[in-house]
Formats: sequence, structure tokens, C-alpha cells
Amino acid sequence: MSGHDSKYFSTTKKGEIPELKEELNSQYKDKRKDAVKKVIAAMTVGKDVSSLFTDVVNCMQTENLELKKLVYLYLINYAKSQPDLAILAVNTFVKDSQDPNPLIRALAVRTMGCIRVDKITEYLCDPLQRCLKDDDPYVRKTAAICVAKLYDINAELVEDRGFLESLKDLISDNNPMVVANAVAALAEIQENSNRPIFEMTSHTLSKLLTALNECTEWGQVFILDALSRYKAADAREAENIVERVTPRLQHANCAVVLSAVKMILQQMELITSTDVVRNLCKKMAPPLVTLLSAEPEIQYVALRNINLIVQRRPTILAHEIKVFFCKYNDPIYVKMEKLEIMIKLASDRNIDQVLLEFKEYATEVDVDFVRKAVRAIGRCAIKLERAAERCITVLLELIKIKVNYVVQEAIIVIKDIFRRYPNTYESIIATLCESLDTLDEPEAKASMIWIIGEYAERIDNADELLESFLESFPEEPAHVQLQLLTATVKLFLKKPTEGPQQMIQVVLNNATVETDNPDLRDRAYIYWRLLSTDPEAAKDVVLAEKPVISDDSNLLDSSLLDELLANIATLSSVYHKPPEAFVTRVKTSALRPEDEDYGSETGNSESPAHLADSAAAGASPPPTSSGSVPYAAARQPAPAPVSPAAPVPDLLGDLIGLDNSAIVPVDQPAAPTGPPLPILLPASTGQGLQISAQLTSRDGQIFYSLLFENNTQVPLDGFMIQFNKNTFGLAAAGPLQVPQIQPGTSAGTLLPMVTFQNMSQGPPTSLLQVAVKNNQQPVWYFNDKISLHVFFSEDGRMERANFLETWRSLPDSNEITKDFPGIVVNNVEATLDRLAATNMFFIAKRKHANQDVFYFSAKIPRGIPFLIELTTVVNTPGVKCAIKTPSPESAPLFFEAVETLLKD
Amino acid sequence: MGILFTKMFSSLFGNKEARILVLGLDNAGKTTILYRLQMGEVVSTIPTIGFNVETVQYNNIKFQVWDLGGQTSIRPYWRCYFPNTQAIIYVIDSSDTDRLVIAKEEFHAILEEEELKGAVVLIFANKQDLPGALDDAAITEALELHKIKNRQWSIFKTSAIKGEGLFEGLDWLSNTLKSGGG
Repeated sequence: MSGHDSKYFSTTKKGEIPELKEELNSQYKDKRKDAVKKVIAAMTVGKDVSSLFTDVVNCMQTENLELKKLVYLYLINYAKSQPDLAILAVNTFVKDSQDPNPLIRALAVRTMGCIRVDKITEYLCDPLQRCLKDDDPYVRKTAAICVAKLYDINAELVEDRGFLESLKDLISDNNPMVVANAVAALAEIQENSNRPIFEMTSHTLSKLLTALNECTEWGQVFILDALSRYKAADAREAENIVERVTPRLQHANCAVVLSAVKMILQQMELITSTDVVRNLCKKMAPPLVTLLSAEPEIQYVALRNINLIVQRRPTILAHEIKVFFCKYNDPIYVKMEKLEIMIKLASDRNIDQVLLEFKEYATEVDVDFVRKAVRAIGRCAIKLERAAERCITVLLELIKIKVNYVVQEAIIVIKDIFRRYPNTYESIIATLCESLDTLDEPEAKASMIWIIGEYAERIDNADELLESFLESFPEEPAHVQLQLLTATVKLFLKKPTEGPQQMIQVVLNNATVETDNPDLRDRAYIYWRLLSTDPEAAKDVVLAEKPVISDDSNLLDSSLLDELLANIATLSSVYHKPPEAFVTRVKTSALRPEDEDYGSETGNSESPAHLADSAAAGASPPPTSSGSVPYAAARQPAPAPVSPAAPVPDLLGDLIGLDNSAIVPVDQPAAPTGPPLPILLPASTGQGLQISAQLTSRDGQIFYSLLFENNTQVPLDGFMIQFNKNTFGLAAAGPLQVPQIQPGTSAGTLLPMVTFQNMSQGPPTSLLQVAVKNNQQPVWYFNDKISLHVFFSEDGRMERANFLETWRSLPDSNEITKDFPGIVVNNVEATLDRLAATNMFFIAKRKHANQDVFYFSAKIPRGIPFLIELTTVVNTPGVKCAIKTPSPESAPLFFEAVETLLKD
Repeated sequence: MGILFTKMFSSLFGNKEARILVLGLDNAGKTTILYRLQMGEVVSTIPTIGFNVETVQYNNIKFQVWDLGGQTSIRPYWRCYFPNTQAIIYVIDSSDTDRLVIAKEEFHAILEEEELKGAVVLIFANKQDLPGALDDAAITEALELHKIKNRQWSIFKTSAIKGEGLFEGLDWLSNTLKSGGG
């Protein structure tokens, strides 16, 4: 290559970025504005224009509001990727927060809150303080929300600067919009804190009730939510509050209505007067009914909430069942919810009407809906004793139309009706038996078999009927097999004649010798033993009286119901799940109450993006939109993708920083989680020094976790560590940071490791030889075992297709198998979770006979994939592991790792 | 058409545009000078974390004046503003004798910058109203201004508070730029 070839590296073409850069620096305002627009456009479609940061920020000081908004938008997006340069924007924020135009002041303070860069946070406190006391209410209310955002970034700062007090002062503001936003901010801060921050007094209560009538609809929602958390002192106060709030039920905004309902329901718990309660129930019905005339989506939300409300206070809508009748053009999700509520509202008074409806639904076209309608009839029968007969009549009529899935569903519910009202309706069994051949769904089959077994003495040809099922016994799903087994035993006990005797032989044989299903086998053996030792006892056991059932399906546990009712008009009440089940929120001090010292520093800076962030994203400019952050965004964040940040990096920082907190007492090892480390150098060998250590992997980084215990008589210091050449070339990434260890104490550390530094030749081994020295003792040598799983990297996940392709592309000679006879998989979910946590990713599962076969992928450094097949019978010892990998020589190491992983 | 005319006129009457950076250590008085030049009055300032930019019309020259924060943490980002700069106003706190050495080092580092090769340099020995302030000769000595080669430069005694010396400096700047110095 000659020197002239350098020309190929230079080009005369300028890319888009340099062109934009030039335009951004143009002396003409219009050109600059156009350029910023281009930048924003590029940003919106996902191009990375972060390199233009300074150039865009330089356009920030402008009279032009439009340009300013665009630059702010850019800043919100890219400040995080350019945290150092973000400081250049601070002065402009400070200036803008003092601009004569309130819109600009508010815009500045709002944008400041959206920029989550630690370095500049403290510079923004002064402007925020000023804006909280601004003359303009719009600026004050924006500042109030900004405090909540800041609290999320740095709670300590908010408390130190007294922003919480300022917020509380804003509750007494004379502008209702400001009050509402201060309440919203305080409520959000409270949600993220364990300490009581926002406690309502009778003074704030009256302020809120006054503001409620005057502020915007979304402001009303915030205030109502806050009020619903207020515990009234007595029934009278509760009545007063409710009275002030009742007019909100007439609001056009359904969020306001639902929040008012929530608030009233909460306070109603305290109200003792039945008159008042009845009156309130009467008042709540019409607004709830009105919600059902909105769009289907809103109807759905309303129905999910009403479902909860009628579980607590059925009287509210007892007379309104007609509005829950399904319309032919309702979307299916609305129909399903209506059906659920109809069942809950069905009573002796309206059951005829309801049954007519159900019957009609059972003839519609949507199979799922039809099934649910049939079930609904059954559930009404179980719920309302006096109506049971009418329900059964309807079910029989439906069976007569001979639609396969209707028949099957009917049989399933009739089984439940028999359980509920024993010895009452058996006359219909004959009708049921007519449909025997059409049954092809396991649940229906199992139900029918149960009926035959239970009433064998009344069915003349019970043995014939059962026999027809027995032919296909080995092919049936497990629970049909179980039912068949029990039914045959019942038949035999009731009619101990020749036919059933033969049958029982066949069944017991099938269910013991021929099957691999432990449940079935165990039950069969129990019956067998019972029958062979004491048939009378068997009768007592098998034909014992059964407890009567009641319809408790779809009823929520009362404490859960309480919690959901307190969360009406949120996602929680739509999912019917408590918020913590789907919102990841880290309350740091709650998770780690024991290490306050770390918590105060690391917790705040590391707290993940949640409420404030999503509110911020949703509420970015323009400032002219209605006064408050959008309801949905502010109230219910999408399930946050951020998992609780592991405390490791900060902990590590502390340890390396060698401040006093690094000296950890004996009972508090450096790594606060996980089992104790294995002892590698016992105190007897180390003249009193004991070393425990293990390789661990956290956040994709490999650490050597060490714990030194000084049992000698002298302080030990000057620790150093060295690793011998090893297969993976593991070496320390830095010096060992261990403080002086006093006699009788211990110290732990996490040593970051690098790989492929000093590699040994030869076949792979798991041996890791370690040498440790200190200033007082000779050099200690000990051996550790490298477990391959610490190398599993996060990019080891494979798609199914990719997995299959890779599997096929590798020659069969690369497939290696090993059995772990001693290992039992008891809980599949937990095992999969544990494997996923070590970056062994689950791909698929299939059933092979009674065995479960699982497929996984994993990858070790240098991109070597492992394709893994685990075969096992759940709850039974023995796991077979087959792997395919381009590097079969690592297989022994891999098996060792898998064994360790499955063991614990 | 309109734009064309403006351009013709501006060249006729020498209505030039110039990009100027105001640099110097923190607390030298850069922001006060900027607003004294722009509005003619003394504003109360706080440390500039970032920058200020204003347009100052003087002697038919439209100066786009960038006042950059002088904190140690911000100095590394000065270079982001170097391209296309015609002139630098370097402001010295003449009463802060302790930090003159640092001021000198920063100053010479700026002169070394390739992107500022063609920029003229105007030094303001500011805060002359304070007792113990060094005069322009002493500052020239302390900053080793005689070492400047191949560049037009000048130093003025100023007091931003009293408004002294600033426009004299700007006069020099506009004349130098008009004569093609920038």
C-alpha cells in the first residue's frame, strides 16, 4: 500500500450531520430555526443527532418561542446522552425562569424537571425555588409538578431545600389549579416514600374541598384521589365530606365520576347511618349507568370497576340490571364483562329476565361468549336456590339444540349443580346420557364421567357407558384418566357385579403398570390397596358425603377487594390486581433497611425512572395544553421496564473508595445477598487467616467475591492477589482493595475481573489457582473452581428459528449428553427463573410421553453458543442434559455448571 | 430581491457581522461587561453556568457576543464555540493577583488553538475601580502579552461597573475588524 491511498479515507461529501451543523451556526435566524426543525425531525424518526448538542443548545437563547420550545424538546431527549455538555444549558434555564413572559418561565421550569442529569440538578434548585413563589399561577403549578420530578431524581435535595414545605404551602394557594397540582405532586412523592410526607389535616381538607369546585377536571381527579385517602375522624366528618363531593358525580368527565365514586365508597365505610348509606347508593347509580353509554373502551373500564363495586355494595345497582344486558353490537370484551356483572346482580326478583337473556346469548355465534353464557346459567343456579329449577330447564333446552360446545359446557355446569343440590335433579341424567358420544373436550368428558360414577346406582347401563370411555383410557388427558379411575371404583363399590369387576381390573392395570403419571399411579394404588384390604372402608372413603359447594368463582378475597376499591379508576382496578403486582417501583429504604449508609447515597441517585418520568414524557411542551399533566400518564405508568437496580456498582465504588464503611462487620458480608461464600483457605491452613471466595457475575461483569476473616492476634494489611494462568485467562482488573483487618473482624470485597488476559494452553479445565499475600504472613495458595455459568453472557438469548437452525447446522458429533441422576426439578417456574437469572435462556418446552423437555440457549465469551436440551419428569429424580456446541471440549465444564445451577 | 438589497447596502456602509467570544476566569466580570455593552447599564449577575449570547450594534458592526462561563468545570467546553470566531475579548480581574498565573495559562492555551488562529484579541484589564487593581502595563507583563506573535491585540483598562474603557476597546475592535483584521 503506498502513501497515496490515503485519499480513499477522505471524502468531499459532507454528511447530513455536518450540513445541519453548518446551518445551526448560520447567522440568519430563519435558517437556524429551520435547521433545528430538521434536527427535531431527524430525532423523531430515530436518527441519532446527539452530536449536534452544543450547536442546538447555542440556539437556545432566542426571542422566538417556537424555536425555544424546539430546543427544549431536543434537550429533554439528549441531555442524558450528553450529561457533561448539558451544563451549557443551565444559564439559559436560569435566565428563562426569570423571563417576563410566564409561559417561558413555566416552560423553563418544566423542561428542567425533565432533564435527569445529576450534574446539573443542583443548579436548577434556585430557579425552582423562585418559580414556586412566582406571581403567575401557571408558573407555580408547573413548579409544583417539577418538585415531584426532582424528588424522583434526588429526594434528599428536595428535602434539604425545603421544597416539600413549599409544596404544602401551595395547598393553601388561592388558585385552585395550583392547589390541585400541589396535591398531585405531594401524592406522587408520597407514593415513592416510606415516610409520611403528605398527611391531611382538617385545615388542608377544607382547602381541598374549596378548590375542588373550581379547578379543572383533571385537577379534580387529583384532589378526589387525595381525599379518598383521607381517614375521616368520625361518621359526621365523613358525611360532610361526602356531601361536598356528591355534585362531582354529575361531571361529564368519567375519570372525575369514578374518582368521586371511589372517594364516596371509601368514606362510606365510616358512615353508620343506614339512611345516609341508602341515599348515597341511590345517588351513585345514575352516574355509573351513564358511563355505560360512552365508547366501548370506556364502558370496559367502567364495567371492570363496577364489577368491584357490586361485590362490595350490590345494592347500588340492584335495580339497574337491564343496563348490563348485552347489545348485539357490543364488542366481545364488553359483553364478557357485562355477563360477569349480570351474574353478580342476578336475584330471585330478576332471574326470569336474566335467564331469558342468557338463553339468547347461548345461541349467538361467538363460541367463547356462548360458553360463558351457559356457565352463567349454571352459576345462577348455584347462587339462587329457588331459581335452580328454572335454570336447569333452560340448560336442558339448550342441550336439545345439540350444538356440540353448548352441550359440553352445559354438562360441565350441571355437574356443579349436582354437587350443589344433591339428590334433587338426577332425573335429567337420562337426557345427558343421550349426548355422550358428542363429548370431545376433556373437561366435559371428566364431568360426565363424574356424573356417571356418582349416580351409578341410578343409571342402569352405567357400566356400559363407562366401558365406552375405558377403551381410549391410555390416550385420555390426565384428569379424564383420574375421573375414569374414580368413577370405575365408585361403580364397582355400588354394583359389585362381574362386569364392573372386570372393568376395575383393566383400569387399575392401566393406571398403575401402563402409566408414567405419578398422580394417577398413586391414586390407583391407594384404591387398589383399599379394595383389597377392606372394601367396606373403601366404601366409606370413596362414597363419602361431599360438602356442598357454593358459587365463589370470580369473587375476590376481601382484603384484595379493599385494596382494589381504594384504587378505583386506575389500571389496578381494571386489571383486578394490586398496583405492586405490575408496577415496579423501588422504595430503596424498604428494600434495604439495614444499610442506611449506602441507601441514602446510592438509592437516590439510582432510583429508576417511573411516575415522574412517564409524566414528564407525556407532558412535554406545549405549555398551552390544559393545566395539568395528562391523567393516564401521570397516574398510571406503563409497567416500568426498569428492574430494581442492583446495588452492586455503588457498593463497589464505596469499597474501592476505601472509606470507613468498607470495613464490614462479621455479620454483614460485603455482598448482602446470596448464600455464604465457600471457604477456600481454612483458618487452620492460613495461620488464622480464613479466605472464602467465589466467582460471581453481576450486570454482565465478572467479580471475584472475597471474604477475609482475621482470626490471628495481629491486624493484617497490605493484601494482594494474583491468579495463575487458567483456561479463561481470568485476571484481576485492578488491585485488591482490602483495608486493614483487625483481629477478630472480617472484610469483604468484590474484585472486578477481566477475561482472556493470561490464558493457559491445553484442554479446558475449571481449575483456578489463586495466591494471596499480606504484609504479616507468607503467601497463601489455594485452588478454586471456575463455574462456567459466570461467563454466560446476556446476549445468549436465541429465537426459536435461530435455535433450530443452529442445532441442525452443528454436526451430530458435537452433541454430548450427560445424566444427572440425583437432581430433581420440583418447581419448573422457579428453575426457569433461576436459569434465566444466570443468562441461560429458556426457548421452548414440549411434552414427550410423561417427560418434559426444555430447550435453552446460552453463550460464553468469544460468541460460543450452547444449545441445551434438558429432559426430566417433574418431581422425579433424574435430569438428562444434552448439549450441542461448536466447542465440545468445554462440555465437561458446562455440565458442571448446569449441575450446580440445577442443584440449588 | 429584498435580501439582495440589504446585502448590497450593508457592504456599502460596512455593516459587518462579527462573532466575538468573551472569555476569562470566573468572576472576571464577563457577564457584567456583556450587559453593560448591550443595555448600557449594570445588571446584577450570578455565576454563568453555561453561556449568554447577545447582539451588540456598534460602529456599524453587528457584534454577536458570546459570554461563556468561566468556572473550571465549564472552561473545557469553550472550544465548542471556537469555530468562526473573529475576535476574543479576554477579561482579567485586575485585582485578583493570585490567579493571574492561571489567567495567563488559560490565555496562552487559547492562543494555541488552531481554530482561533485568525482571531484578533482584545484584553480588558477589568475592575480598575477596585483598590489594588493592577494597571494595563502590569497586566501586560503578567500575561506575557509580548509573546503574542502574528496576531493583532490590544489591552484596555476597564471598569464594567463605571462603564469606563469598554467602548474604547470596542472602537479598537471595530476598526481592526473593518480593516480586515478579522
